[in-house]
Amino acid sequence: MTRTSAPGVRVKDLTVVYKTPAGELPALGGVSLSLAPGTITGIVGESGSGKSTLALSLLNAVQPPGRIKEGVVDIDGLGNVVELTGEELRRARGRQVGYVFQAAQNSLNPLKTVGKQLLDLGRSHDFDDLPALLKDARALLGRMGLDGGRVLDSYQHELSGGMRQRVGIMFALVLNAHLVVLDEPTTALDMITQAAILKIVRDVHHERGLTTLIITHDMGVAAEVTDSLAVMYGGRVVEHGPTTEVLGSPRHPYTKGLIRAIPRLSGDIDEARALPGRPPTLGTIPKQGCVFRERCPMRIAVCDTVDPEPVTRDARTVACHAVGRPATPVVPKEYV
Amino acid sequence: MITASGITKTYKQRGNLLGARAVPALRGVDFAIERGGAVTFIGESGCGKTTLGRIVAGLETYDSGDIVIDGTPMSSLKPRHREPFFRRIQLIHQDPYSALNPTRTIHQTLAAPLALRAKQTGRGKAWMEERARELLALVGIDPGYVLPRYPHQLSGGMRQRVVIARALTVDPEVLVADESVSMIDVSLRLGVLALLKDLRERLNVSVLFITHDIATARYIGGDGELYVIYRGQVVESGPTERVISGPVHPYTQSLLSAIPVLHGVERPGPERVVPTEALNEAHPDTGCLFARRCPFRTDQCEAEAPPLVSDGEQSHACYHPKRRDVIPVEAVA
Repeated sequence: MTRTSAPGVRVKDLTVVYKTPAGELPALGGVSLSLAPGTITGIVGESGSGKSTLALSLLNAVQPPGRIKEGVVDIDGLGNVVELTGEELRRARGRQVGYVFQAAQNSLNPLKTVGKQLLDLGRSHDFDDLPALLKDARALLGRMGLDGGRVLDSYQHELSGGMRQRVGIMFALVLNAHLVVLDEPTTALDMITQAAILKIVRDVHHERGLTTLIITHDMGVAAEVTDSLAVMYGGRVVEHGPTTEVLGSPRHPYTKGLIRAIPRLSGDIDEARALPGRPPTLGTIPKQGCVFRERCPMRIAVCDTVDPEPVTRDARTVACHAVGRPATPVVPKEYV
Repeated sequence: MITASGITKTYKQRGNLLGARAVPALRGVDFAIERGGAVTFIGESGCGKTTLGRIVAGLETYDSGDIVIDGTPMSSLKPRHREPFFRRIQLIHQDPYSALNPTRTIHQTLAAPLALRAKQTGRGKAWMEERARELLALVGIDPGYVLPRYPHQLSGGMRQRVVIARALTVDPEVLVADESVSMIDVSLRLGVLALLKDLRERLNVSVLFITHDIATARYIGGDGELYVIYRGQVVESGPTERVISGPVHPYTQSLLSAIPVLHGVERPGPERVVPTEALNEAHPDTGCLFARRCPFRTDQCEAEAPPLVSDGEQSHACYHPKRRDVIPVEAVA
């Protein structure tokens, strides 16, 4: 079964734990997130925020010692990915969900040419018409401004960082997957190459009618290409909404702090402020209460004990006790 | 005060049957760093900015040209006599994860250069201890926590601060910061940048900042000088704020245009410039080096190399300089 339209994705209460000597520690603590069909969603977070774990969960590819403890990842045309196993899962990967790995330079086989690796991919997915696959790949690479024939005959060391990244995108799309996950697509690339890759991502997304998920630590990258933006911290999605709104009027104190910590070219540079403290690691994520409270300027008493539930209002989701509700309960005044 | 003039450096690549291929990394670069000043080099990867930083720090040789430190040309000295000069220039490495010896505690890491310093100034162990604590406090970390620990026990931001503290042990006059925050978490980056800025003000240390992120250059050295380097050549230079707000070279404009726009907070500049091709080292060396990628090139550009001309403040090497509005504009809420 091959879908021709962009699938929607619904992640619900996803908890992923990693087994450590200190017990099972949650990398994702009950994450819920929907990707609307045909949109580009960005997930922004620092190292240890769980963003890559979330992306891997879409393929049910969390590696031991990690495991999906509970939750549902429902992808149109595939069903609940968490329940897929073995052969079914292998076929879905690549066919329905394309994945562009972080550091594309390390995800290619150094001993085989790109073309040979492409043929391997085709055979493992039982493609009969391998010449057509090569033709598609050449067209895709050509679309991204590369000489397709030359690239397919190259080993990875013969390609530059920007070229390898484009090869990674080609691999994700060549089997006609309509859900594409890009994990840090432009890390380690310089600005001009980054801008070129982001333009390709956006153009290909629209041309082929994809649902795209971009994982990045760089707010700028997310701002440049995404329609919808989710901010992760300590294994939770703390804010999610339309990109321009989240950036223009951030609600969660972490989002606010993160945006203020970006030196920009416009405006007064001295308004940039560092966020105090440092992000939690797997071992230091608090067991109860809000994960961000240690660094939060809006901390109130309830933050120490209760993990804030995500609340959705006007297409914006925020998980914060201090946002969107009055600090003290409003009691209707009785006038005399 | 450090003045560099006409620095060139060519790397020999191991060749095939036809012989070695020469890769020019720097093709005659001039610049000056004043005491307490800030100088920024920006450019794409492979443009030679890292090589330049290593040459200034004395970690790399150069083929021709000269570096003059406080009036003494380095070419007039024997290598071992250059050491005390270059010791005043310290490099802060790009990657705090590999710049610290994993088998040494932070205490041991700082003790080695401090011992040298103590010997030079005739001071004892007690001074070393005190100085180590003082330096760690200066870079904003708790000495009691950090000193007995190994690098793997510290976060990226802390490690980078330790690397900076180590550079400060020899009382340098210049810090060369090569992409020093690119490996650090976003929320901690600005803290390290603020530290470098603070060191400039408090210790009167000059900072040579090497980056591809122009916005961070604006944060650390908005009052300093900016050099835009392309394929080993300065193509535009001038006061940082002035070059950023009024770039005239198409390459500078391409770099500035490539910076992602924070939609919702700012709007893209109306005249963004996109290079027609990707960087290709195989492009010919005749004429303007950027000509093949330049959307505004003419026949003249491909025939002759444009000289670096200056209006007194801002310099550029382009036959068709034109100011374009490429940087994002702050959106009015």
